[in-house]
Amino acid sequence: MKLWIDGTEVTAQVGQTVLEAALAAGIYIPHLCYHPDLHPQGGCKLCVVEIEGEDQVVTSCTTPVREQLRVVTKSPRLAQLRKASMELMLAGHPGDCTGCRSFGNCELQAMMQYLPAVANGELRTFRRKNADWPANDPLIVREMERCIQCGRCVRACRDLRGVGILDYHHSEGEMYVGTEKNVPLLDADCRFCGACVEVCPTGALQDREGIFRKDLPREQALIPCQAECPAHIDIPGYLYAISQGDYAGAVDIIREKVPFPLALGHVCTAYCEKGCKRRGLDQPLAVRDLKRFAVEHDDRQIWRSRHVPFSSTGKRVAVVGAGPCGLTAAYYLALKGHAVTVLERYPVPGGMMALGIPAYRLPREALMGEIAEITAVGVTLKTGQNVTSITELKEDYDAVLAAVGAAQGKRLPLAGANDSQCVTALEVLRSVSLTGSHPLLGPGRRVTVLGGGNVAFDAARTALRLGAQVRVVCLEDRDHMLADEEEIVQAGEEGAAVCPGRHNLELVAEDGTITALRTERITGFRFTPGGLEVDPVPGSEELFPTDVVVFAAGQKSDLTPAFGLPLNQWGYPEHNGCATAVEGVFTAGDAVTGTKAVIDAIAAGRDAAREMDLYLGGDGCIDPPPAQRKQKDPCIGKQEGFARLHRTHAGVRDPEARKGCWDKVDLGYSKEQAKTEAERCLSCPLRTQIGVSELWTAYLPK
Amino acid sequence: MKQMDADIIVVAAGLSGLAAAIAAAEKGASVIAFEKAATTGGAANMGMGPLGVGSRKQREQMVALTPGEAFRKHMFFTHYKVDARLVRDYYFKSGDTIQWLERMGVQFVGVQRAFGAPEATRPYSDGEFTWHVVRPEGGGVPGPRAASAMIKAMTEYALDLGVQFAFETPVKEILMENGEAVGVRAVDKTGEEIECTGGAVIIATGGFGCNPKMIQEETGFEFGKTIFNFAVPGMEGDGLKMAWAVGAGKTPCTMELMYQLPDNMNHFILDGAFRQPCLWVNRMGERFMPEDQIGNTTFTGNAISVQPGKVAYAIFDEALLEHYKKNGPDIISHVHPHDLFDHFDDMWERDLAAGYEPIAQADTLEELAQKAGIDAAGLRRTVEDYNRCCEKGYDEIFEKDRAYLQPIGRGKLYCCRQNVGAYGSLGGILINHRTEVMTKDYQVIPGLYAVGTDACNIFGDSYPFILSGNTMGFCLNSGRIAGENAVDFALVEA
Repeated sequence: MKLWIDGTEVTAQVGQTVLEAALAAGIYIPHLCYHPDLHPQGGCKLCVVEIEGEDQVVTSCTTPVREQLRVVTKSPRLAQLRKASMELMLAGHPGDCTGCRSFGNCELQAMMQYLPAVANGELRTFRRKNADWPANDPLIVREMERCIQCGRCVRACRDLRGVGILDYHHSEGEMYVGTEKNVPLLDADCRFCGACVEVCPTGALQDREGIFRKDLPREQALIPCQAECPAHIDIPGYLYAISQGDYAGAVDIIREKVPFPLALGHVCTAYCEKGCKRRGLDQPLAVRDLKRFAVEHDDRQIWRSRHVPFSSTGKRVAVVGAGPCGLTAAYYLALKGHAVTVLERYPVPGGMMALGIPAYRLPREALMGEIAEITAVGVTLKTGQNVTSITELKEDYDAVLAAVGAAQGKRLPLAGANDSQCVTALEVLRSVSLTGSHPLLGPGRRVTVLGGGNVAFDAARTALRLGAQVRVVCLEDRDHMLADEEEIVQAGEEGAAVCPGRHNLELVAEDGTITALRTERITGFRFTPGGLEVDPVPGSEELFPTDVVVFAAGQKSDLTPAFGLPLNQWGYPEHNGCATAVEGVFTAGDAVTGTKAVIDAIAAGRDAAREMDLYLGGDGCIDPPPAQRKQKDPCIGKQEGFARLHRTHAGVRDPEARKGCWDKVDLGYSKEQAKTEAERCLSCPLRTQIGVSELWTAYLPK
Repeated sequence: MKQMDADIIVVAAGLSGLAAAIAAAEKGASVIAFEKAATTGGAANMGMGPLGVGSRKQREQMVALTPGEAFRKHMFFTHYKVDARLVRDYYFKSGDTIQWLERMGVQFVGVQRAFGAPEATRPYSDGEFTWHVVRPEGGGVPGPRAASAMIKAMTEYALDLGVQFAFETPVKEILMENGEAVGVRAVDKTGEEIECTGGAVIIATGGFGCNPKMIQEETGFEFGKTIFNFAVPGMEGDGLKMAWAVGAGKTPCTMELMYQLPDNMNHFILDGAFRQPCLWVNRMGERFMPEDQIGNTTFTGNAISVQPGKVAYAIFDEALLEHYKKNGPDIISHVHPHDLFDHFDDMWERDLAAGYEPIAQADTLEELAQKAGIDAAGLRRTVEDYNRCCEKGYDEIFEKDRAYLQPIGRGKLYCCRQNVGAYGSLGGILINHRTEVMTKDYQVIPGLYAVGTDACNIFGDSYPFILSGNTMGFCLNSGRIAGENAVDFALVEA
């Protein structure tokens, strides 16, 4: 239908309001309580317009369009009314914006630009009596003296989300917006979805500092788990599928980005959990455990139908190293139609997943099952192939990826560190993974592991399982140890003595045999260009009797110039993105970055696949067709006690039972536990689906 | 990755960026302005108006100050330790810039000064009538935020001229080619990268007032400890970092000092109530400046910044409070409510009950010193001396204006700690009088310009309050100068 707004003919849809029709036609009518996703309420009165032939002004957000309606949006009378409305809203609002975190992103502030009549020193002011809110709400900060009572939060909470805990209330002769009886959000059964914050046009409702990163684009930052995941898996998407019992759908989503969902479900370092918004409420979602659960309960594997290789491109690719980076790159390159051969120096594939991480953390059949899926799409895997020079490979292949990892354990600069009683954690783990034993370890041996990261605890718990008495010694104090908390706790339960905050002084030898490690306690340490500096506690020296010393002091690249790649001063290949200085040769993963987590290696493998596909003439789009998702209903409803549903912990095997065997320690969730845990998700993506109320600057002046 | 291009790329659409964009567009250039926030104006939305010297408005008010005189005053104030040529170009343009704004529809109430010095100190610190305060649309008394009317007029005019704004799209990097600035890389809110190429890039991001790490590194102040400045969200020092990354010379940065209470917006009544010429002492209990000067926020901020712990204490007693309640404050500021003392009791009781840490109340000097953390013996000595001066009607130490000489000790004692405050940061990018960015060796980086507070290196160590409206004045005029020069450069290049 046609109507006229300020003399301009505008085409509108039946059912639209005058405000909607005007905005759609690029004509700005000021408004604050109107929001495109919310039912109009006509409260702020800024959108008043005159209708030709009618005496009364009307709010354009509540007036339906009619054929041949003639609307006037600017007149002295309207300006006067808008000014009065703004003055009412501003009277209780703080006069200075500089202390407000919404500065520059505030619709009220923008309205003060647009209707500057209110920038007036004569403005009446009063101090709200009902602005003092429970100040300790988690996740959401309420500064209600900034509230203009537009009611957007009330409508968003009630209508968009079906939660309805915010409403207008009266007290001391004032109206205010809040919860029933002013109870904290936690006790009001808030779902902490953030819709109220999203629609608030002022700084009255804000996200608590530190919940969302500021260095990321807003739409990414609002979903912190996905933003933190190096592979950017749609975590909320698969958590929702799990909560619905759709485990196949969940795996389908996970597999959009990674070919090792089960391995990750066992050992992922879970950056997502460190970013999880729920961390600000109680504890983060158990994303890793849920991932494992989904894979172990996927009995349909619908993802397969989407992971079908393109027709052959005729290009040949060699990948050196069958670790998580190399195999991931191989998988995606094979899906793109390239003929990929993976060359692995050890007799088993999997890299650190097979030869570093012990089986009680990552069961080998789980890993081998996932590697089998990679060969199933056409990747040729050759083990026992020690590639010593990239140059020969270059002749047989169109592109080569050096994903050789950081395969050499470092030793600390202690006299005697190269003695036969000393060994690196990597050597121990590799030997036990391949042969089930290590010559230095066995019942009754006193083993001292030097290091406080996950690798140290892998070595320690491996030695325990071989019957040794184990002590872990590290520089960091207990609260700053680098290993995952559960590793430290579980190692302690299994009998390891953990000695944090210690500096190693010397290996004590008698008749050429190491008998003890001399240490001292420290209160701090730092690495300077001159080496390690410590703050020792005087008189705290102590001797730890020991037969074997295991170094878990990090790993480094074992590449030499003979490999054919120019190396930097630390022995890592020179690179730009994934490309090396040698045409057609790429590198990625630990080989470039030094030791990082499995998920980092997988993400690096994805980057390499993208770059190599482009190099080989492809489009660089490596993701398989997206999984089909059931969208979560944005009307999530109220759920009693939702904010107090604490993290679900799966059972673990009894310490005595697990000490003597290599079975998985963590027993995994039951279906009920998985559902309960997945339902704790705060559904962060829902917020990004809320529309935007454009400011006046988005409309060209008429 | 999205590709864009324009003759002139403006990084941030605050006051300086808007001025640059308009000046460039007026000369026929195509302009894109990338802005991190959702709207234009940045920190200027809180302001009241810019400096202008030699404007028609000023002459109409019988203010005879000329640009040349303002230039000399400015250079005396800064001891010629700043770029005289840039200062000269700024003041000589500033009058015309007022008319330029009036042509866009901005109206000014008239010219004001931010601070009138007491008679005795006038030759040293009096302000000139250079502050062009923006008239609220429809009339009335201008208050804080009055300048947002100017931002609206400028934004609408910019849109009319065809300036394109990319909101919520921060620039991440200046793109260089053969030593010249040739574009920027920006990221929009969805995460999509934009590569925009252009003939020249103008940086106008407004300093680093919201970046505690940079404040510490560049000025030595610790945010929330030794300085409590306005931290307008978004002022993270993006422009400085980007400019330095492509080889821009680095100038010393300062904070635009004043003083205030911690979290002063939530204690605004007290913030104003203690901004009075009562008794001011430092942590040793010693007076450190004539209190008749405390209306000069720049000098007082400076003075506090050189006291032990960078703090001071304002003290009055029950009798003086009654005097303020009855007669109104001795010093009236243009930011605080004028009916401050009507609300004093409510606010004081509330904050005292809530344990607001900078305030203390006591019945004796000893108790007050102990509660507030002032040296008790020092305070006792000072009050004895001070009260003797009050009795004589002559301040032997500082010759404080005798109208304010009121003894301390009649009834309850009230004390409030004052901290160093600041508006934002100033300076950092080395520019010449054409606002071209230079390397540390004073070589021009072709195609790169920096304006506004990012490049405001002309204030020396302190805000030149004697010529008020200077922060916004420099933003507007440097922006305008950059916009004009950048077009000349870009068109010659093309």
